[in-house]
Amino acid sequence: MPIVQLDHVRKVYDTKVAVEDLSFTVEPGTMFGLLGPNGSGKTSSIRMMIGITVPDSGSVSIFGKPFSRKALARIGYLPEERGLYKKMKVLDQLIFLGRLHYITASAAEQKARAWCEKLQISEALHKKTEDLSKGMQQKIQFIASLLHDPDLIIMDEPFSGLDPVNAALLMDTLLDLRHEGKAILFSTHRMDQVEKLCDHIALIDRGRLVLSGSMREIKSMYPRNRIHITFEGDDAFLHHPTVESLKRFPGQAEITLRPSPTLAGDAQAFLLCALQSARVTHFEVTEPTLEEIFIEKVKESSPENIALTAEIEEPVGSCLDA
Amino acid sequence: MRNVWIIAHREYSERIRTRGFLITTILIPVIMVGFAAGSIFLGTKGDSAIRIAAVSSDTQLTLDLQAELERQQDQKEQSDAEAGATQLTPSSPRHQHRIVIDAIDPSPATRARMDEDLDSGEFDGYLWITPASAPGSRPTFTFTSRGAGPSSVKNTLASALSRVLQREQLTHRGIVAAEAESILQPVQIISSHRARHEDVESAQFSVSVLFFVMYMVIMLYGMNVARSIIDEKTSRIFEVLLATIRPEAMMAGKIIGVGSLGLTQVGIWLTAASLLAGTAMHFGGGELHIALTLAQVVFFFVFFILGYLFYASIAAALGAMTNSEQELQQLNMFLVLPLLVCFVLLGSLLTAPDSTLARVLALIPPFTPLLMYLRVSLGHPRPWEVALSLVLTSASICAIIWVTSRVYRIGVLMYGKRPTIPEILRWLKYS
Repeated sequence: MPIVQLDHVRKVYDTKVAVEDLSFTVEPGTMFGLLGPNGSGKTSSIRMMIGITVPDSGSVSIFGKPFSRKALARIGYLPEERGLYKKMKVLDQLIFLGRLHYITASAAEQKARAWCEKLQISEALHKKTEDLSKGMQQKIQFIASLLHDPDLIIMDEPFSGLDPVNAALLMDTLLDLRHEGKAILFSTHRMDQVEKLCDHIALIDRGRLVLSGSMREIKSMYPRNRIHITFEGDDAFLHHPTVESLKRFPGQAEITLRPSPTLAGDAQAFLLCALQSARVTHFEVTEPTLEEIFIEKVKESSPENIALTAEIEEPVGSCLDA
Repeated sequence: MRNVWIIAHREYSERIRTRGFLITTILIPVIMVGFAAGSIFLGTKGDSAIRIAAVSSDTQLTLDLQAELERQQDQKEQSDAEAGATQLTPSSPRHQHRIVIDAIDPSPATRARMDEDLDSGEFDGYLWITPASAPGSRPTFTFTSRGAGPSSVKNTLASALSRVLQREQLTHRGIVAAEAESILQPVQIISSHRARHEDVESAQFSVSVLFFVMYMVIMLYGMNVARSIIDEKTSRIFEVLLATIRPEAMMAGKIIGVGSLGLTQVGIWLTAASLLAGTAMHFGGGELHIALTLAQVVFFFVFFILGYLFYASIAAALGAMTNSEQELQQLNMFLVLPLLVCFVLLGSLLTAPDSTLARVLALIPPFTPLLMYLRVSLGHPRPWEVALSLVLTSASICAIIWVTSRVYRIGVLMYGKRPTIPEILRWLKYS
């Protein structure tokens, strides 16, 4: 039984189509990433899952049943725009939000204290929200969505605006929750974060689903045609004929190989060429990153999109003529 | 219902702890007492003398006029003291002015000089007395004043003059001065109202204080509801709340929470006032005390709650439609205007609570809370009028809450732009 199921959902605001024919499912015990650039319809989709807005057509099912407000007691929601009462003490605020989620004041207080300890912000409990830093407010908001021990956790851009240490802390917390069997859905436009965390993803662009499936499936659909190389010395080998495009960084390069049936061999040939003129300290052959897949997919669906990769220069040098 | 209670409880307990609540609880009565004292102070200032020059060759006549005016004023003060009440109505004798007469002999240049003095403010007016042309006829009087002076001055002068002349003629016909005086004794009418309150002025004062309290609190707390909704919109907290509870519950909780706070505040004031009621308050020499019956207090709370619900629901809709205090300012005339109309009418309806105007307006829902309360307290509304006004107001409150909750449901999610009227109409259809 899927925890969340969107079926051909469509939502139109006055003149703008926010979501068009969107379908995906979130299975129990998985971490689901909803990806897309800004304004692609992530927040609109999430709002329909928690009943803030209603789809114009299509259906949303939660816990195997068509959406009803009863389900909300089992959902934890972290909105994109953080919302807390500025003048209210943190503990009072958490108790208030907990009670709205049908737990008693004492249970809410107990949970609030436990979570604050876990996220290392116990000192904030007796302060007013307006006296807290932005990162601390976000942690409080994060805690507020988890107080009632929800079975489904929906988070809109949970890591935006956090420093790496705190972002890692929240990611670890989410992973723990998934191990406890909770279903977690979060949206982000930072695709690099998703690769490590998610079991399943859905990529959306301008309200439409571009790609969805398990992380492994999606990656296996793409050939291992990316090379990350770190080197010292002459960089002429970068113009090897198997190279389709490249991005240069100081002492490093990211290379995309030309499509060919003998990709693995091409990679080896490239490495050999590199070793002739430079000292290679790191060499890795991988699938394209999610970001690259996304850009590729978007380019396919709308050709007017401009290529983001650099054009390759004229090849020169010895082994490059092969 | 549980959620409504939680929201209301939060609103109440957070707000009652604020410094703002403490300040308004203390400050508003202080302002009101200051307001009352100020108007009485201005009233007493208005008693200052009016200087009038009487130009006449007949010195005896001007002297008699002076004496007569003084006698009239003494009598008035005496009767005021007997009545033992402060007159609040504008037509009351308190507001008449003491007139001081300067006698001046006429000479050819006098008229021009009088006009000059009048312009420079030396006198407030002059009375030119032309002696009688033939015996038996009366002298002619011309009163020139700067601008349109109070008409009461002219009337006072005329009545004083006619008494002076009457007395003179009576004396001419050989009637003894004392006898003449008794003939001329003006008739005194002692007014008596078949009102529920023996002390009409005190009742009017008490009711207008409560009227003012109701006006202030409804306006203040109505605006608080709107402001707090905007605040939740800008802090985005409503999105967290909407993820668990219905917008209707949010709105109801807010209106109830803020309203309970208003009731608490009014309760504090009334308790303090009833403690003061034992000790009569003295204002500017006149004696006023709080004259309220239990029914008046009960009706006060009934109409206060109705009025608050009516205006707070409108305020909630305004709050849901706007995104900032500035935008709210532009729309809050919807809230302020009907209240202001009631307030402006207070002066005239206080003395005529059963006039046609009062009867009609008190049945119109936006005006009912304040005006029907006034009628119930001071006038004699028919029971069916009171019942009808309660039904009409309750029905319109239900209608407004119905509309508002729909506007609210969508309005709170719309941010960035103010909706147009057609959009609002579409919202009503949509949800």
